[in-house]
Amino acid sequence: MTETIETVRVSVKVNGEEAVRDVEPRRQLVDFLRHDLGLTGTHVGCEQGVCGMCTVLFDGEPIKSCLMLAPQADGHEITTVESLNGEELHPLQRAFKEHHGLQCGYCTPAMLMTALALGRRGVPLDREQLEEELAGVLCRCTGYQKIYDAVESYLAETAGSGGTA
Amino acid sequence: MKPAPFVYERAGSVEEALAMLQRYEGDARLLAGGQSLVPLLNMRLLMPSAVIDVNDVPGLDEIREEGDEVAIGALTRYSRIEWSPTLVSRLPLLTETVRYVGDRQVRTRGTLGGSLAHADPTGEMPLAAIALGATVVVQSQAGRRAVPAEEFFLGPYYTVLEPEEMVVEVRFPVRRTVSAIAEHARRHGDFAVISVAAVGEPNGDGGWKSVRVALGGVADTPILAVEASALLSGTSLEPDVVARAGEMALAAADPPTDVRASADYRRHLIPIYVRRTLELLQTRRSEGAR
Repeated sequence: MTETIETVRVSVKVNGEEAVRDVEPRRQLVDFLRHDLGLTGTHVGCEQGVCGMCTVLFDGEPIKSCLMLAPQADGHEITTVESLNGEELHPLQRAFKEHHGLQCGYCTPAMLMTALALGRRGVPLDREQLEEELAGVLCRCTGYQKIYDAVESYLAETAGSGGTA
Repeated sequence: MKPAPFVYERAGSVEEALAMLQRYEGDARLLAGGQSLVPLLNMRLLMPSAVIDVNDVPGLDEIREEGDEVAIGALTRYSRIEWSPTLVSRLPLLTETVRYVGDRQVRTRGTLGGSLAHADPTGEMPLAAIALGATVVVQSQAGRRAVPAEEFFLGPYYTVLEPEEMVVEVRFPVRRTVSAIAEHARRHGDFAVISVAAVGEPNGDGGWKSVRVALGGVADTPILAVEASALLSGTSLEPDVVARAGEMALAAADPPTDVRASADYRRHLIPIYVRRTLELLQTRRSEGAR
């Protein structure tokens, strides 16, 4: 391609803060977050929507950010794992720690974001439904059981608080 | 793995999207949920000169009851379909089928219209549309046309859509039916190896009428098993009739060999899954659940 590529202005709220950048339309949201905004907590895996590593919340709902173009996020709200940052561990992070819900940690940001959305949705889930809800994120270390334990305990904890914990 | 460059266009209305499609003369792609299109862009299997984003088109994601039909906007996302009280009561096959589609992340974004336009031969939404006898409403600048779902799919990833047309709505007839779906996949949420959906109207005497059996993953497109459906209509789904219907469905199929399964294995599965789906149909009737 010899022609120059026109950029598109993307104005998006990420973890509560406004961010404005001019990007090529082909910029994937995950690369926008990592390279343009320096938020490297969101991981990249397959770049074809299979592994779920790049899961973030788009207007509160979990999506795979490799399957969204950055310009599509214009005017929307993105929540990444960095939103859980704080002096103390977020209750969800604590649940993962207590239940040994991670080993290498590569899938953890995506698991956390998927679980965070589940907590906010606040619908009671049995174990099988929980497994299905988390099926969009692959983990090659844990065998999943301890991740389910962690999320189950987090959901039980947030059930009384309307998912705001 | 990054897409080739393209121009990004955001359409604010159906008319605007259609004008853009016309302007790019077949070299533009509509972007709805992006769950099929964006992987193809990322892998550079598609390199359109423009991507037309229709996600901001208002009114394209409505679920409306209109007489004995339910009209679902093309931009309606899977999660909406899954959780729609209207659809749970009026078109339970649709809400049940959605649970076989991808995973929660995919269902947040993926759309009904996108699934039909993408026309994956193993796609669950195309299968459900055929089983339910849906009509796909397609629009271009020249106007609208309604295409029966059975005639909409021409081959793998290939439909009757002209380059300047878009799917705007899918209309489903609502009858007093019982429905069921059974799917064989290597893991839940993966692409189906084969899937079978069945719909039928219970008679007063324990029999069935207007039975429709559709199969996915067994040909270039999802198919309606026409002969099997005709055979089953007017019966009580007795085991020998079901077995014959399974053989008829097998005869109508021309399954592919791919990374997920061989053609032989798919042939082996067809009568088994036709039987399982029809047994599920019977069970549901006796439970009065659907």
